[in-house]
Amino acid sequence: MDQYEWFVAAIVLLPLLTAAIPVAAGLRWKNVGWSFAATILSVTLALAVTVAWMIHENGPIHYELAGVEVPFGIELYADEFSMLVVLLTLLIALGVLVYTRIGGPRGNSFYAGFLLLNGGMYGVVITGDIFNLYVFLEIMAISSYALVSSSKYRWSTYAAFKYLLVGTVGASFYLLGVALTLAATGTLTMHELPELIAEAGYTDPVVITAFVLMGVGLAIKIALFPVHTWLADAHASAPDGISAVISALMPAVAVYAFARVIYTVFTPEFLDANPTVAQLLLVGALLSLYAGSFFALLQDHIKLVLAYSTVSQFGIILTGIAVANETALFGSMLQIFGHGIVKASLFILAGMFALRFGGIRTVDEYAGLAKRAPIMAGAFAVLGVAMIGLPPTVGFVGKWYIALGAFEEGLWLVSALVLASTLLSAGYILPFINRIYFHPFEGEDVDRASITHGMLIVIVIGATIGLTLGFFSAEIQGILESAVEDMVV
Amino acid sequence: MTELLVAQTTTVESIRPAAVLVIPILAMGLIFLSKNRPNVREAWSILAAISMFAIVASMVPGVLDGTVYETDFGAFVGLGDETIDLALQADALGMVFALVSSGLYVLTAIYSIGYMRGHHEPFQTRFFAMLCASVGAALGVAFAANIFVLLVFYEVLTLATYPLVAHDESAEARTSGYKYLAYALSGGLAVFGGMVAVFWLAGDISFTRGGIEGLATLAEDDPWAARAAFALLAGGFAVKAGVMPVHAWLPSAMVAPTPVSGLLHAVAVVKAGAFGVARTVIDVFGPETVAEIGMGTPLAILAGATIIISSLFALRQDNLKARLAYSTIAQLSYIVLGLSLLTQMGLMGGLLHIPAHAFAKLTLFLCAGALYVQLDVKYISEMPGIGRRMPITMSAFAVGSFSMAGIPILAGFVSKWHIMWGGAEAGNLFVPVVLIASGALNVAYFWPIIYTAFFETPDDHGGKPVLEHPFGGTPIKSLQYRPDGGHAGDGHDDDGDAHDDGHGHGHVELPPSDGWDRPAGRLSETTLLMLVPLMSTATLVLLFGIAPDHMVFFDLIQGIVENAGEVSS
Repeated sequence: MDQYEWFVAAIVLLPLLTAAIPVAAGLRWKNVGWSFAATILSVTLALAVTVAWMIHENGPIHYELAGVEVPFGIELYADEFSMLVVLLTLLIALGVLVYTRIGGPRGNSFYAGFLLLNGGMYGVVITGDIFNLYVFLEIMAISSYALVSSSKYRWSTYAAFKYLLVGTVGASFYLLGVALTLAATGTLTMHELPELIAEAGYTDPVVITAFVLMGVGLAIKIALFPVHTWLADAHASAPDGISAVISALMPAVAVYAFARVIYTVFTPEFLDANPTVAQLLLVGALLSLYAGSFFALLQDHIKLVLAYSTVSQFGIILTGIAVANETALFGSMLQIFGHGIVKASLFILAGMFALRFGGIRTVDEYAGLAKRAPIMAGAFAVLGVAMIGLPPTVGFVGKWYIALGAFEEGLWLVSALVLASTLLSAGYILPFINRIYFHPFEGEDVDRASITHGMLIVIVIGATIGLTLGFFSAEIQGILESAVEDMVV
Repeated sequence: MTELLVAQTTTVESIRPAAVLVIPILAMGLIFLSKNRPNVREAWSILAAISMFAIVASMVPGVLDGTVYETDFGAFVGLGDETIDLALQADALGMVFALVSSGLYVLTAIYSIGYMRGHHEPFQTRFFAMLCASVGAALGVAFAANIFVLLVFYEVLTLATYPLVAHDESAEARTSGYKYLAYALSGGLAVFGGMVAVFWLAGDISFTRGGIEGLATLAEDDPWAARAAFALLAGGFAVKAGVMPVHAWLPSAMVAPTPVSGLLHAVAVVKAGAFGVARTVIDVFGPETVAEIGMGTPLAILAGATIIISSLFALRQDNLKARLAYSTIAQLSYIVLGLSLLTQMGLMGGLLHIPAHAFAKLTLFLCAGALYVQLDVKYISEMPGIGRRMPITMSAFAVGSFSMAGIPILAGFVSKWHIMWGGAEAGNLFVPVVLIASGALNVAYFWPIIYTAFFETPDDHGGKPVLEHPFGGTPIKSLQYRPDGGHAGDGHDDDGDAHDDGHGHGHVELPPSDGWDRPAGRLSETTLLMLVPLMSTATLVLLFGIAPDHMVFFDLIQGIVENAGEVSS
């Protein structure tokens, strides 16, 4: 099996290195970008599935790029958790491609940016080195600034600029944290850091500052309250397909990075040694959960509702991570995956509704859509319920693990808060479902033909996963168990 | 004898509990597919009802012999070595609820055809599909083998019922729908919290007759934790059971079509709440443990207060369905009261009241629906002399309401007798007092309806409701809030445009000034599709009252109660 370990590197490098080709090809062929991106990502998916299977059989893979050894070489590390996020990313990226073929934006440079974004995300997930994590974060971020501004609205330029400023500040915080870590330990490699940080002392001010800086930087990338402000603008103006990526994947990737920093680099002992930091983390996560929900309640624009709901959902996920035991961490992993699928499908659906019914966005404009578009409405209802987290959907199972994990730690208030947030989520999603089903249709069916069978298949698959994934949580837990144990212990 | 029963309980792998739940899923699909052919669509719904009932009934003999049919789909969620299985089991307690729901669904499915067509309701396809889904979810609640699975179906039930409440898509229907969701989802969350607590404290949430093992020890070590868990579970279920003060959704949900009010808001949904309380008391904590942590008494007080207060509210309702709704709230608390007494007879009475109340209340709702479809009668003040026009319907109504009041040889008496006996057994004199007072109140709010229907005429009647003004004096302003919600001015609040408000009971249309006509033929007062179901349920009320021990429920419940007492003592 060892001879295939380079597949891990290929997952990252294939989209990154081929990203320029659509632009070059654009000189000769028009619109080659879509098929090229689809091909590359499908190949990457095949690679990722193979790697996931290898990891499942033989355990985590450490791979040194080009055989150059650490500390000079670049190390890649992949375990079950990484592959979960990589597969989620790939599946959603492919789903988004199905949507953008008709839904736009088109053009070769868009797909070049899209490939770059994907490569950056896989890099963040698979890297084994905190500095390279920064590099990949920036690749991911810069390409996403470009994609946000690729929308046809003029306002998107402003939104992209704001996103760029905030994102760069976040990245700088993270980089400062990396620099301090290097100063304190002399290495950047993730699997060497835990021992060295322990030697430097968990309560050493430099170590604590490094952690806090990295945490703040990543919190901006995840869009946690109160540093979530870039998110709303970016969503409102980004193309719908890109909103799906920004909302479902980029925070997921960033939260993955945060989990790696907490568990693999600083280890739970660091949190034990610094209860204040741990508590701040927990409070921040809960604050994000509730602030996001309240902001979402105030919106009537579907994309803003979904965007703020992302803030609150990542609050839940981070709560699970901050609780720091196996049950809660697994709950967070499940929630990352489930939320990713559900939120991306909802954004694609919002785009489909807008395409077909003439750019509708607000609650009132959603009235009576079920009468014209039963499949889309049905998918919206199922996904909405999954988003709220009612049984038996995946959101419910994720919450169960997180609440139970918090309860195990004696944090019963946290588990009560996590559960109570369900009501708020119901409060912002149900008005849409209610409008769709129980109001008369008032809009106009502008462009029926714009909805392809491919799009319908994608959202039906998304809704089915959202509805049924919860039933397989025990199996998923079995698969992820070793990764979870490695991280917590 | 009791020890033998315990020993005889055997678990048998069987596909049947799962098969019951597959039927509604299939039926829903078929109903939607045949939406353009109403006759085929209704055939699916009746076929589904009959096959569900048949499968449930086929398990009865086995369950009576102490067999528990179980379908186990393996681990649902896990936690280290412990897992919670996605398992369904048909035990005696589940069978009681499943038999009632699926059996009455057959009658309601037939009745709905008459009602929906007779009233030219819109969105009939969605109605039949969701009705089927709701009953399926209720059966899932009945057959759940642990709290987790129960909660899953409990929430599915909430969601499946919502389209039925918001059925006519009017502003009022949507508001009621929201109210219903807000209450039911909050209740579900409380159950969720209680479940997390029980799982963590006891390490197991599978239903065990007589109580989960770990909980008894826990109750000794940390009674407050056990109390909190019990309060969350029972409180969460009490929302659907309409125990005051979390009952307010039920009267507003009466905006739904009458078959829904009848089957769901008197049988399947609300009994799912009462059933949840029963599971909590009997199979999660066990009567002994509940007694030990002293949670029986608060529950009994809540239930007793609900019985009296909501009966008082019922007195003042002029809208027939609203009166029935408040009566439902009171009657559901009989079940809770019986369970909270924690004695054998109390448990028995509470559980017997599940079928007894279901038969009688469904009869009443079916009658109310028939009056509405046939004559457009919604208010009691419109009913003088109506017995002449609809003799069979009103006779069935009389049977149902006497059963509500607990008159002997009717179903309500059997259960009420056991609850009283249980109260006496517990040495609690306030139980018989509450029940007798409630019986008197039942007479007070049902008798005027029967009296006005049979013994008054349109030109000579006393005006209904008998008790019109709020308790504690007449309001000064017409828009003062009443204690039971709504305004003093809107006696006919939900029918503003058809009736002129403010004129009290001076409707010009109803009752007709020249009196009601007699029906054309013996069975032609309304369509047979509606008449036969309501006659059948009235017959069930009589049968259950005359020979309770020949009905299967009695034996099932006796088995449950004996086991519950035996294991925990």
